[in-house]
Amino acid sequence: MEYANLRRQAASLKRSLFDQGYLDEQFCQVEDLQDEASPNFAEEVVSLFFKDSARLVTNIEQAMEKYPKDFNRWDAHMQQLRGSCFSIGASKMNNECTSFRNSCGEENAEGCRRTFQKVKREHAILRQKLESYFQLLRQAGPARAATRPGSM
Amino acid sequence: MDRRRIRVLLVEDEEIHRVLARAVLRAAGVEADEAENGAEAVRRVRERVGGGGAYDLILTDKQMPVMDGHEATRQIRAMGVTTPIVAVSSDSLPSDVQAFTAAGADDFTPKPLTKEKVGHILSKFGLA
Repeated sequence: MEYANLRRQAASLKRSLFDQGYLDEQFCQVEDLQDEASPNFAEEVVSLFFKDSARLVTNIEQAMEKYPKDFNRWDAHMQQLRGSCFSIGASKMNNECTSFRNSCGEENAEGCRRTFQKVKREHAILRQKLESYFQLLRQAGPARAATRPGSM
Repeated sequence: MDRRRIRVLLVEDEEIHRVLARAVLRAAGVEADEAENGAEAVRRVRERVGGGGAYDLILTDKQMPVMDGHEATRQIRAMGVTTPIVAVSSDSLPSDVQAFTAAGADDFTPKPLTKEKVGHILSKFGLA
Protein backbone atom coordinates (compact mmCIF):
# COMPACT_ATOMS: atom_id res chain seq x y z
CA MET A 1 0.00 0.00 0.00
CA GLU A 2 2.87 2.31 0.82
CA TYR A 3 4.34 1.59 -2.59
CA ALA A 4 1.05 2.48 -4.25
CA ASN A 5 0.98 5.73 -2.33
CA LEU A 6 4.53 6.55 -3.40
CA ARG A 7 3.64 5.75 -6.99
CA ARG A 8 0.66 8.10 -6.75
CA GLN A 9 2.85 10.84 -5.34
CA ALA A 10 5.37 10.35 -8.16
CA ALA A 11 2.58 10.45 -10.74
CA SER A 12 1.17 13.59 -9.20
CA LEU A 13 4.57 15.26 -9.20
CA LYS A 14 5.12 14.29 -12.80
CA ARG A 15 1.71 15.64 -13.78
CA SER A 16 2.51 18.93 -12.10
CA LEU A 17 5.82 19.14 -13.97
CA PHE A 18 3.88 18.91 -17.21
CA ASP A 19 1.06 21.21 -16.10
CA GLN A 20 3.53 23.89 -15.03
CA GLY A 21 5.48 23.61 -18.27
CA TYR A 22 8.72 22.26 -16.86
CA LEU A 23 8.58 19.17 -19.05
CA ASP A 24 7.12 18.26 -22.40
CA GLU A 25 6.29 15.08 -24.31
CA GLN A 26 9.96 14.27 -24.89
CA PHE A 27 10.26 13.25 -21.23
CA CYS A 28 7.60 10.59 -21.81
CA GLN A 29 9.53 9.43 -24.88
CA VAL A 30 12.59 8.96 -22.66
CA GLU A 31 10.60 7.00 -20.08
CA ASP A 32 9.11 4.89 -22.88
CA LEU A 33 12.62 3.69 -23.71
CA GLN A 34 12.88 1.94 -20.35
CA ASP A 35 12.64 -1.79 -20.48
CA GLU A 36 13.72 -4.80 -18.46
CA ALA A 37 17.28 -4.43 -19.71
CA SER A 38 17.36 -0.73 -18.78
CA PRO A 39 14.83 -0.24 -15.99
CA ASN A 40 16.39 3.03 -14.82
CA PHE A 41 17.09 4.46 -18.24
CA ALA A 42 15.16 7.68 -17.67
CA GLU A 43 16.94 8.44 -14.42
CA GLU A 44 20.30 7.69 -16.04
CA VAL A 45 19.55 10.04 -18.94
CA VAL A 46 18.36 12.77 -16.59
CA SER A 47 21.52 12.37 -14.49
CA LEU A 48 23.56 12.68 -17.64
CA PHE A 49 21.58 15.77 -18.59
CA PHE A 50 22.31 17.50 -15.29
CA LYS A 51 25.97 16.53 -15.39
CA ASP A 52 26.18 17.90 -18.93
CA SER A 53 24.11 20.99 -18.32
CA ALA A 54 26.06 21.97 -15.20
CA ARG A 55 29.22 21.92 -17.28
CA LEU A 56 27.59 23.92 -20.07
CA VAL A 57 26.25 26.53 -17.65
CA THR A 58 29.77 26.94 -16.26
CA ASN A 59 31.13 27.29 -19.79
CA ILE A 60 28.61 30.03 -20.55
CA GLU A 61 29.37 31.81 -17.30
CA GLN A 62 33.10 31.75 -18.04
CA ALA A 63 32.55 32.86 -21.63
CA MET A 64 30.45 35.81 -20.52
CA GLU A 65 33.15 36.83 -18.09
CA LYS A 66 36.20 36.19 -20.26
CA TYR A 67 34.77 37.35 -23.60
CA PRO A 68 32.51 40.31 -22.94
CA LYS A 69 30.06 40.95 -25.76
CA ASP A 70 31.29 38.01 -27.80
CA PHE A 71 27.69 37.19 -28.60
CA ASN A 72 28.56 34.55 -31.17
CA ARG A 73 30.56 32.62 -28.60
CA TRP A 74 27.87 33.00 -25.95
CA ASP A 75 25.25 31.87 -28.45
CA ALA A 76 27.25 28.83 -29.50
CA HIS A 77 27.54 27.67 -25.91
CA MET A 78 23.86 28.26 -25.25
CA GLN A 79 22.93 26.35 -28.38
CA GLN A 80 24.65 23.30 -26.89
CA LEU A 81 22.71 23.70 -23.66
CA ARG A 82 19.47 24.11 -25.56
CA GLY A 83 20.19 20.94 -27.48
CA SER A 84 20.60 19.11 -24.19
CA CYS A 85 17.29 20.51 -22.94
CA PHE A 86 15.57 19.04 -25.99
CA SER A 87 16.87 15.60 -25.07
CA ILE A 88 14.80 15.28 -21.90
CA GLY A 89 11.98 17.70 -22.72
CA ALA A 90 13.16 20.43 -20.34
CA SER A 91 10.67 22.87 -21.80
CA LYS A 92 10.84 25.88 -19.48
CA MET A 93 14.60 25.79 -19.42
CA ASN A 94 14.61 25.50 -23.20
CA ASN A 95 12.45 28.62 -23.47
CA GLU A 96 14.89 30.60 -21.36
CA CYS A 97 17.78 29.33 -23.48
CA THR A 98 15.91 30.60 -26.54
CA SER A 99 15.39 34.00 -24.88
CA PHE A 100 19.12 34.16 -24.19
CA ARG A 101 19.88 33.36 -27.82
CA ASN A 102 17.45 36.06 -28.94
CA SER A 103 19.31 38.54 -26.75
CA CYS A 104 22.57 37.41 -28.35
CA GLY A 105 21.04 38.03 -31.75
CA GLU A 106 20.10 41.53 -30.66
CA GLU A 107 23.58 42.00 -29.12
CA ASN A 108 21.81 42.88 -25.91
CA ALA A 109 24.32 42.11 -23.15
CA GLU A 110 21.99 43.12 -20.35
CA GLY A 111 19.27 40.92 -21.81
CA CYS A 112 21.74 38.05 -21.98
CA ARG A 113 22.73 38.49 -18.36
CA ARG A 114 19.13 38.66 -17.25
CA THR A 115 18.01 35.61 -19.20
CA PHE A 116 21.09 33.66 -18.14
CA GLN A 117 20.03 34.10 -14.52
CA LYS A 118 16.64 32.69 -15.50
CA VAL A 119 18.30 29.73 -17.22
CA LYS A 120 20.24 28.98 -14.05
CA ARG A 121 17.14 29.32 -11.91
CA GLU A 122 15.08 27.00 -14.10
CA HIS A 123 17.98 24.55 -14.15
CA ALA A 124 18.07 24.46 -10.34
CA ILE A 125 14.31 24.12 -10.00
CA LEU A 126 14.11 21.33 -12.55
CA ARG A 127 16.96 19.46 -10.92
CA GLN A 128 15.28 19.62 -7.51
CA LYS A 129 11.91 18.51 -8.88
CA LEU A 130 13.29 15.63 -10.93
CA GLU A 131 15.45 14.45 -8.03
CA SER A 132 12.29 14.32 -5.91
CA TYR A 133 10.44 12.46 -8.66
CA PHE A 134 13.07 9.77 -9.08
CA GLN A 135 13.52 9.45 -5.33
CA LEU A 136 9.81 8.68 -5.04
CA LEU A 137 10.08 6.12 -7.84
CA ARG A 138 13.07 4.46 -6.18
CA GLN A 139 11.22 4.26 -2.89
CA ALA A 140 8.16 2.90 -4.66
CA GLY A 141 10.01 -0.02 -6.20
CA PRO A 142 10.59 -1.47 -9.68
CA ALA A 143 9.32 0.57 -12.57
CA ARG A 144 6.26 -0.49 -14.50
CA ALA A 145 5.31 0.70 -18.02
CA ALA A 146 5.66 4.46 -18.49
CA THR A 147 2.44 6.40 -18.34
CA ARG A 148 1.55 9.81 -19.58
CA PRO A 149 0.14 12.46 -17.25
CA GLY A 150 -3.61 12.45 -17.37
CA SER A 151 -3.73 8.74 -18.04
CA MET A 152 -3.39 7.89 -14.34
CA MET B 1 14.75 -6.85 -44.72
CA ASP B 2 15.74 -8.08 -41.24
CA ARG B 3 16.15 -4.88 -39.25
CA ARG B 4 18.87 -6.42 -37.13
CA ARG B 5 21.10 -6.57 -40.17
CA ILE B 6 20.71 -2.90 -41.05
CA ARG B 7 24.04 -1.14 -40.75
CA VAL B 8 23.71 2.35 -39.33
CA LEU B 9 26.39 4.88 -38.46
CA LEU B 10 25.47 7.39 -35.76
CA VAL B 11 27.65 10.51 -35.79
CA GLU B 12 27.22 12.55 -32.59
CA ASP B 13 29.65 14.16 -30.17
CA GLU B 14 27.36 14.75 -27.18
CA GLU B 15 27.04 11.70 -24.96
CA ILE B 16 23.45 12.35 -23.95
CA HIS B 17 22.32 12.42 -27.57
CA ARG B 18 24.29 9.27 -28.35
CA VAL B 19 22.72 7.48 -25.38
CA LEU B 20 19.23 8.47 -26.46
CA ALA B 21 19.76 7.73 -30.12
CA ARG B 22 21.27 4.36 -29.26
CA ALA B 23 18.21 3.46 -27.20
CA VAL B 24 15.78 4.66 -29.86
CA LEU B 25 17.58 2.73 -32.58
CA ARG B 26 17.74 -0.38 -30.40
CA ALA B 27 14.00 -0.11 -29.83
CA ALA B 28 13.67 -0.17 -33.63
CA GLY B 29 15.82 -3.29 -33.76
CA VAL B 30 18.90 -1.51 -35.02
CA GLU B 31 22.40 -1.63 -33.54
CA ALA B 32 24.52 1.27 -34.76
CA ASP B 33 28.20 1.99 -35.08
CA GLU B 34 29.10 5.32 -33.52
CA ALA B 35 31.46 8.14 -34.38
CA GLU B 36 32.05 11.13 -32.14
CA ASN B 37 32.95 13.57 -34.87
CA GLY B 38 32.84 13.98 -38.61
CA ALA B 39 36.42 12.89 -39.18
CA GLU B 40 35.84 9.59 -37.43
CA ALA B 41 32.65 9.14 -39.44
CA VAL B 42 34.52 9.65 -42.72
CA ARG B 43 37.15 7.14 -41.61
CA ARG B 44 34.53 4.53 -40.72
CA VAL B 45 32.71 5.02 -44.02
CA ARG B 46 36.00 4.73 -45.93
CA GLU B 47 36.78 1.46 -44.10
CA ARG B 48 33.36 0.12 -45.02
CA VAL B 49 33.84 1.05 -48.65
CA GLY B 50 37.17 -0.73 -48.60
CA GLY B 51 35.57 -3.97 -47.40
CA GLY B 52 32.66 -5.10 -45.29
CA GLY B 53 29.87 -3.39 -47.16
CA ALA B 54 28.59 0.16 -47.04
CA TYR B 55 26.35 1.49 -44.30
CA ASP B 56 22.64 1.43 -45.01
CA LEU B 57 22.07 4.72 -43.23
CA ILE B 58 24.11 7.52 -41.68
CA LEU B 59 22.63 9.79 -39.01
CA THR B 60 24.74 12.83 -38.34
CA ASP B 61 24.75 15.80 -36.02
CA LYS B 62 25.84 19.18 -37.33
CA GLN B 63 28.04 20.84 -34.74
CA MET B 64 30.93 18.57 -33.70
CA PRO B 65 34.60 19.04 -32.87
CA VAL B 66 37.36 18.13 -35.37
CA MET B 67 34.95 17.99 -38.32
CA ASP B 68 31.30 19.05 -38.44
CA GLY B 69 28.41 17.23 -40.06
CA HIS B 70 28.36 19.39 -43.19
CA GLU B 71 31.99 18.68 -44.02
CA ALA B 72 31.68 15.01 -43.16
CA THR B 73 28.69 14.76 -45.51
CA ARG B 74 30.62 16.49 -48.29
CA GLN B 75 33.60 14.18 -47.89
CA ILE B 76 31.45 11.07 -47.77
CA ARG B 77 29.71 12.10 -50.98
CA ALA B 78 33.06 12.93 -52.57
CA MET B 79 34.00 9.26 -52.03
CA GLY B 80 31.08 8.31 -54.25
CA VAL B 81 29.11 6.88 -51.33
CA THR B 82 25.37 7.03 -51.93
CA THR B 83 24.25 5.82 -48.49
CA PRO B 84 21.30 7.88 -47.26
CA ILE B 85 22.53 10.57 -44.91
CA VAL B 86 20.07 12.14 -42.49
CA ALA B 87 21.07 15.21 -40.54
CA VAL B 88 19.86 15.21 -36.93
CA SER B 89 20.33 18.62 -35.40
CA SER B 90 18.73 21.03 -32.96
CA ASP B 91 19.45 23.81 -35.48
CA SER B 92 16.44 23.45 -37.73
CA LEU B 93 16.12 26.78 -39.51
CA PRO B 94 15.55 26.57 -43.29
CA SER B 95 19.13 27.76 -43.78
CA ASP B 96 20.42 24.84 -41.67
CA VAL B 97 18.40 22.34 -43.69
CA GLN B 98 19.53 23.91 -46.97
CA ALA B 99 23.17 23.80 -45.90
CA PHE B 100 22.94 20.08 -45.22
CA THR B 101 21.12 19.42 -48.46
CA ALA B 102 23.79 21.36 -50.34
CA ALA B 103 26.44 19.20 -48.68
CA GLY B 104 24.68 16.08 -49.95
CA ALA B 105 22.37 14.99 -47.15
CA ASP B 106 19.13 13.29 -48.11
CA ASP B 107 16.95 14.40 -45.23
CA PHE B 108 16.90 16.41 -42.05
CA THR B 109 15.17 15.81 -38.75
CA PRO B 110 15.29 18.01 -35.67
CA LYS B 111 16.66 16.60 -32.42
CA PRO B 112 15.89 14.65 -30.45
CA LEU B 113 15.48 11.36 -32.26
CA THR B 114 12.28 9.58 -31.31
CA LYS B 115 10.82 6.19 -32.16
CA GLU B 116 8.45 7.86 -34.59
CA LYS B 117 11.22 9.75 -36.39
CA VAL B 118 13.36 6.63 -36.66
CA GLY B 119 10.40 4.67 -37.98
CA HIS B 120 9.77 7.35 -40.58
CA ILE B 121 13.42 7.44 -41.64
CA LEU B 122 13.69 3.67 -41.94
CA SER B 123 10.49 3.56 -44.01
CA LYS B 124 11.53 6.44 -46.21
CA PHE B 125 14.76 4.74 -47.23
CA GLY B 126 13.28 1.27 -47.56
CA LEU B 127 14.94 -0.06 -44.42
CA ALA B 128 11.81 -0.87 -42.43
